[in-house]
Amino acid sequence: MDLDFTAAQLAFRAEVRDWLSRHAPPPLPSLDTPEGFEAHRAWEAELAGARLSVVSWPEEYGGRGASLIDWLIFEEEYWAAGCPARVTQNGIFLLGPSLMRHGTPEQRARWLPRMARGDDVWAQAWSEPEAGSDLAAITSRAEPCPGGWRLYGHKTWSSRAAYATHGFGLFRTSGARHKGLTYFMFPMTDVAVRPIAQLDGLPGFAELRFDGVFTPESMVLGEAGEGWRIAMATTSSERGLTLRSPGRFLATAARLAELARDADPALADRAARCLVEAEAYRLHTFGTARRLMAGEEIGAAVSMGKIFWSELDLRMHALALELLGDQAGGWLDGFLFSLAGPIYAGTNEIQRNIVAERVLGLPR
Amino acid sequence: MNFGFDDDQLALAATVRDVLRTHCPPAALRTARRPSWDQLAGLGFFGLLLPEEADGLGLALVDVLPALEETGRACLPGPVVETAVVAPSLLAGVPKLASGAVCVGVLPPGQAYAADADLADLLIVVRDGAARVVHRPDLLLEPRRGVDPARPLFEVRYARSEPLPAPVGPALLRGTVATAAQLVGVARELLSTAVAYARVRTQFGAPIGSFQAVKHQLADVAVAVEFAAPLVYRAALTLETDAAERDASAAKAAAGEAATLAARVALQVHGAIGYTEELDLRFWLARAWSLSMAYSTTAAHRERLRVAIVGRRP
Repeated sequence: MDLDFTAAQLAFRAEVRDWLSRHAPPPLPSLDTPEGFEAHRAWEAELAGARLSVVSWPEEYGGRGASLIDWLIFEEEYWAAGCPARVTQNGIFLLGPSLMRHGTPEQRARWLPRMARGDDVWAQAWSEPEAGSDLAAITSRAEPCPGGWRLYGHKTWSSRAAYATHGFGLFRTSGARHKGLTYFMFPMTDVAVRPIAQLDGLPGFAELRFDGVFTPESMVLGEAGEGWRIAMATTSSERGLTLRSPGRFLATAARLAELARDADPALADRAARCLVEAEAYRLHTFGTARRLMAGEEIGAAVSMGKIFWSELDLRMHALALELLGDQAGGWLDGFLFSLAGPIYAGTNEIQRNIVAERVLGLPR
Repeated sequence: MNFGFDDDQLALAATVRDVLRTHCPPAALRTARRPSWDQLAGLGFFGLLLPEEADGLGLALVDVLPALEETGRACLPGPVVETAVVAPSLLAGVPKLASGAVCVGVLPPGQAYAADADLADLLIVVRDGAARVVHRPDLLLEPRRGVDPARPLFEVRYARSEPLPAPVGPALLRGTVATAAQLVGVARELLSTAVAYARVRTQFGAPIGSFQAVKHQLADVAVAVEFAAPLVYRAALTLETDAAERDASAAKAAAGEAATLAARVALQVHGAIGYTEELDLRFWLARAWSLSMAYSTTAAHRERLRVAIVGRRP
């Protein structure tokens, strides 16, 4: 057991740090505004030009074939440098890994390089008005037609959909609760999109209505009926690691410790605690990366990480507001975003059920 | 970057676990002061960290962390950390230390009473940054009230002692990290005991472990243990660096909090039967409380972390 980086890893860190120090943009307008969306997309293209947008992907798709450890190093440097949120994240962290595992060679070649450059920006379409935590209750459906499928139904709380070029999600192709679901990609062109403003007043969500939207056979991921399995498999493998990397929380905790320097000891204690917890998440993630690199699946244990980082993020931003009072300024964006953490990607109540049932073995 | 235990480290833990299962069952906690110590000595447990010239194996603390977790899981009584971890850094020259024939106690700074001093052949007393060693015949012990029936406390007086020339700080840090590892083991055992009970205890026609209010408390314990353990492992790896004190405090504070949370939830899940002297659970509850106060309280470690990370208020 050790915590040592190899010479190659140290060199990679130095390269990333150097490149970011020369290219990191000043704070961009929110990616949920038209100009901010384009600015974030341009940033993704610049990152991709340096082959830094998806370092752990194979070279043929725009990556460097780097290990998960390298990816974690990249993330630490990225967030420490104060770089922008990733407008491509639904694609590169959620759809991308699923395509890598379950896509055909043609699908991977067609979609992954464009995703890595931000040419296409993908929205996720999971939730429906009556299917949130109970995701398998979705009723949106797909019907076969010549050359592909027609999509019908109603999706909501779809992140990035106000500006995205493409979407992906589960649609029902038969009545079976889990085995009746199929994983579709689709162009946003014919989807009726109603942007929904989030707590910050900007349209980070949208409602999607499908009234026979056509998507070709080549945009079905996996076989019909395999959608649930594919979506869940990705959730419990790489995504557990890639959804929110430790680098982001370490950067926040370090800024918070700085902020607490002249603070009351009770507040300073909370800041120190947050930094140690961010370190714990980092160490834990190195352990998880080791297991994934050895070919192990991490399964339901991913849920423990999600509970831990989302609630840490909440505590950090709440503390920042207490330290800064009415001068919280830019911390307010992070504060509002941190409030979403215990809700998205499976609420923390669902995550605690998963930990209790599938990690601890308690009865359903 | 290889942040996980290797096969040798895990195999050592498995061997220790097997010995403890056989020779330190819960019933032994009520009848014996040092159950399974002879068998552990037979394995060479007390020489693991001693250098080869002292008949030891010369292992590093990180190599024995999983085994130390097992001693916590079993609620093993006696000054295990003191004899197997602290003594090798300070008393390597004492004959027969590796054989387990010499039992060592420690009275760390900040504590009024020495735990398990009744068993100690040698007691290391640390006061004002300096350590002295007291031999058993020179010790006068007065029992004092403590929380842990299998880890009794004593007020210590002595007329004769010898100074220990070696710097005592690093040895105490190792004891702190080793105690944190034991706390992780205590927390894991409390969690699995509570889960096992929640699966079989039925109320309203269903196992209580099927109720979300119970599930979520147990999930919170699982999360606390899962993220305390890596801090303990790190602390064993950074002992020789500038971050040693800070990382040891992070380990001890997190492990102590995880174990006391595990104790709180395990008791709540058991209900009234958990609140009895009869149930073995009481030994693990007490161990979580007593070890979380050992080698400085959680509050003291939190304060050190605050100063190390945020700094002193100007």
